[in-house]
Amino acid sequence: MTRTALGAPATPIPTGRSQRSSAVSVLLSHWTGSGTVPSLTLYPHQWSWDSAFIAIGLRRLSPYRAQRELETLCGAQWGDGRIPHIVFNPAVPPGAYFPGPAFWRSGQAGAAAGAPAGIDTSGIVQPPVHALAAWLVHESDPELSRRRGFLARLYPRLAAWHGYLADHRDLGGQGLAAVVHPWESGMDNSPCWDGPLARVEPAPTGSFRRADLTHGAAADRPTDEDYGRYVGLAARYRDQHYRDTAASHPFAVEDPAFNAFLAVSEHALASIAQSLGRSPVPHRARAGALTEALVARLWDPQSGQFLCRDLVPDALVAERSVSGLLPLAVPGLPDPVVRALLDTLSGPHFDLGAGSTGLVPSYDLLGGAHDASRYWRGPAWFNVNWTLERGLRQYGARAAADRLAGAILTTATASGFAEYVDARTGQALGSRDFGWTAAMALDVLARS
Amino acid sequence: MLKTACQEQLLPGTTLQEKWEFAQSAGYDGIELRAKGDLHFQGRLPELRRALADGVVMPTVCVEMLHFFGAFDAEQRRDALVQMKSQLSVIAELGGLGAQTPASYGMFSRRLPPFEPPRGEEEERAILVEGLTELGEHARAEGVTLFLEPLNRYEDHMVNRLDQAVDLIRATGLDSVRIGIDSYHMNIEEADPPGAILAAAPYIGHAQVSDSNRFQPGAGHLDWPAWLGALEAAGYDGYLAVECRLTGDPVDAVRSVPAFLRRNGA
Repeated sequence: MTRTALGAPATPIPTGRSQRSSAVSVLLSHWTGSGTVPSLTLYPHQWSWDSAFIAIGLRRLSPYRAQRELETLCGAQWGDGRIPHIVFNPAVPPGAYFPGPAFWRSGQAGAAAGAPAGIDTSGIVQPPVHALAAWLVHESDPELSRRRGFLARLYPRLAAWHGYLADHRDLGGQGLAAVVHPWESGMDNSPCWDGPLARVEPAPTGSFRRADLTHGAAADRPTDEDYGRYVGLAARYRDQHYRDTAASHPFAVEDPAFNAFLAVSEHALASIAQSLGRSPVPHRARAGALTEALVARLWDPQSGQFLCRDLVPDALVAERSVSGLLPLAVPGLPDPVVRALLDTLSGPHFDLGAGSTGLVPSYDLLGGAHDASRYWRGPAWFNVNWTLERGLRQYGARAAADRLAGAILTTATASGFAEYVDARTGQALGSRDFGWTAAMALDVLARS
Repeated sequence: MLKTACQEQLLPGTTLQEKWEFAQSAGYDGIELRAKGDLHFQGRLPELRRALADGVVMPTVCVEMLHFFGAFDAEQRRDALVQMKSQLSVIAELGGLGAQTPASYGMFSRRLPPFEPPRGEEEERAILVEGLTELGEHARAEGVTLFLEPLNRYEDHMVNRLDQAVDLIRATGLDSVRIGIDSYHMNIEEADPPGAILAAAPYIGHAQVSDSNRFQPGAGHLDWPAWLGALEAAGYDGYLAVECRLTGDPVDAVRSVPAFLRRNGA
C-alpha cells in the first residue's frame, strides 16, 4: 500500500473516468455564472492568470464556458489596456478577501488609467497567459468560436493588453515588461523578491487584517512581514493613481516567467490575427524581439537558467526560481539555452522526475531560502508544471514531457486538487479543490 | 458512457420491433415508452411482452395524461395514483427502471391569470408528499422507481426546480422516489443547470433531454458539454431519454441525436 507523507494510508487514486469526474466537479462547483473562482473559500473572486489556466482546462468540459471565462475577465479591462489581477464579485461580502475593493478603490484611484466604472478590480496585473488561453480555447471548438465571434471580440482587447505591457511596463527600456509588485509575477513570495522587497517600507502592523489566514495554515502562507510590504507597495501604487513610470516604482523587476508568457502569448496573438484574416507579422516580430530580450537581459549561463533582473540597481537576482525555467515554453530559443535549461531542470536544483511526485518545485531545492511547504518558496504548482510540460514537448523531450504529464494528473488527483504540494512528498498544501489544479488535470486527461 | 433512449412516438415504424430496429441503427440503447390513461398502458401488455421477447430494450415509461397526482380535483388525483401504480407495475414486469410523472401539467401557472392557485402552499405540499409516498411505496414493492419531473413555471406551479423535488423526496424518506430531470425545463428554471445537477446528484434517477427550444438536442443553444459533464460527474449511470419536438426532417432529426450527444460528452 502506498503511504502519504503523514504516514496515513493513501486514498486510492481514481483513474480515467473518475479522475475526470472529480476535476469536472471542481470546475462546475466554482462557476459563478460568468467565470470561475480559484477557491470557494480562499479566493472567492475572479483572478487573472487563474482564469486563463482555468479556461485552458474548462475548454475540455465546455468550450462555451471557457470562452465566457476569458470574455468576462477581459470585460473588466482598463482603458489603458491592463487586465487587472482580480475582478471582484459584488455578491461576495467585503471582508471575505483582503485586500478587497475598499483597498484598491479602482473606480477613483484608477479613473485616470481608465478603470471601468461600476466594476471593482485590483490595480495590478498578473502574467499574460490570456492570448495563449484564448487560442487554445478557440482551437477546442473553432465552429462555436466563429459562431460567437469569440476571437474577433477578444483580439482587440488582448492586443491592447500586450500594448499596455509594451508601452507602460518596459521600465528597463530594453524590451521586457517589468512587474511592479511581487503579486504581479503570480509567484507572490518567491525568494527572488526578498532582496528587492527589503527596500520597501512595510505597512504598519495593525493597519490591515489578512483574510488568507482564515482559510489557510500560516506555515504555508507568506509571513506577516512580507505581507506588510505587499500592502505598503500596493497602497503606494494606488496612491499614485496606478501610474507607471520607472521613478514611481520602488519595486521593479523583469521576471523571466512573466515575459515568457508574454512571448508565448504574442505567438498566440499572431495565430489569432491570422485566423481573423489580419497580418500576424507584427505579433511574430514582437514575439521574436521579446525572446531576444529575454536571452539578452535575463539569461545567466553560469546558472544554466534565466534569472530575475532587479531594475533598481539593474542587476540579476542570484536566486534560482522555477520562473527562470519557464521560458522553455517560448519557441525559438537558441540551442545552447535549451540544452542548458533541460540540464538544469533535471539537475539537483530542480530534480525533474526524481522526487516521489515527479513534479518540479517552485524554488531551488538546494537554495538557502528553500521551504518545502511555504507557497512559492519550494512547493510544486500545477500551472507551472503544465507550462514546463509544454516546453519539454516543444523541444523534443517527449519522454520527460509524458512523465511530467502523468505526474501532474496523479498528484493533482491524489492531493484532492491541492493549490500546491510538497514537491518531494506530494503532501497537499494550501486550498483544496483548487481551480487551475483541476483544470490542468482535465487538460492532461483529455490529451491522454 | 451515458446510454441514450428515444421516446417511442418519435421513432419511425408501426411496431415497437420496427422502431427498435431504427433506434439501434441510429445508436440508441433503449426506447422510452409513453403511457396514456384509463389503464391503456396496462392494456398494451401483450404487445409489450412480445417486444420484450424480441429483444426490445424498454427501461422507462413517461406518463401521457392530462391529470396528475397533484391535481386540484380529488377524483383526478385518485385516478392519477391508480394509473401511475399500474404503470409502475407494468414497467416492473418488463424489467425496466421506473416511471416518470410531473406533479401536474397545464393545470395552473403562477405566471398567468389568475396568478394565485386555489390551494395554499402547505396544503399543496401535503398532497404532493402523500401522493409521492403512496407511489414510492408501490414502486418499492415492485422493485422500480418513481421519477418526479420538475416542469417549467408555465406548465406547473408546484415543482419547477431540482431543489424543490429534493425537498419533497426527502420528506417521503423513500429511495424509490427520485428526480427525473429534463434539460429543457432546467434551462428555464435553474440559475446554473450543471450546478443544480451536482447539488441534487444523489437524488437524480432519470434524465430526459431536449434543447433550449424543446426541439431535439443540437437544435438549440444549451451548453450540452457542461450539462452532460455534470451528469457524468454526478455519477449518473441511467439513460438520456429524448423527449422533444422535432425540427427539420423528422427521421433525420431523430437519427442525429445519439451522435450529437456522444460528441458533446455523453
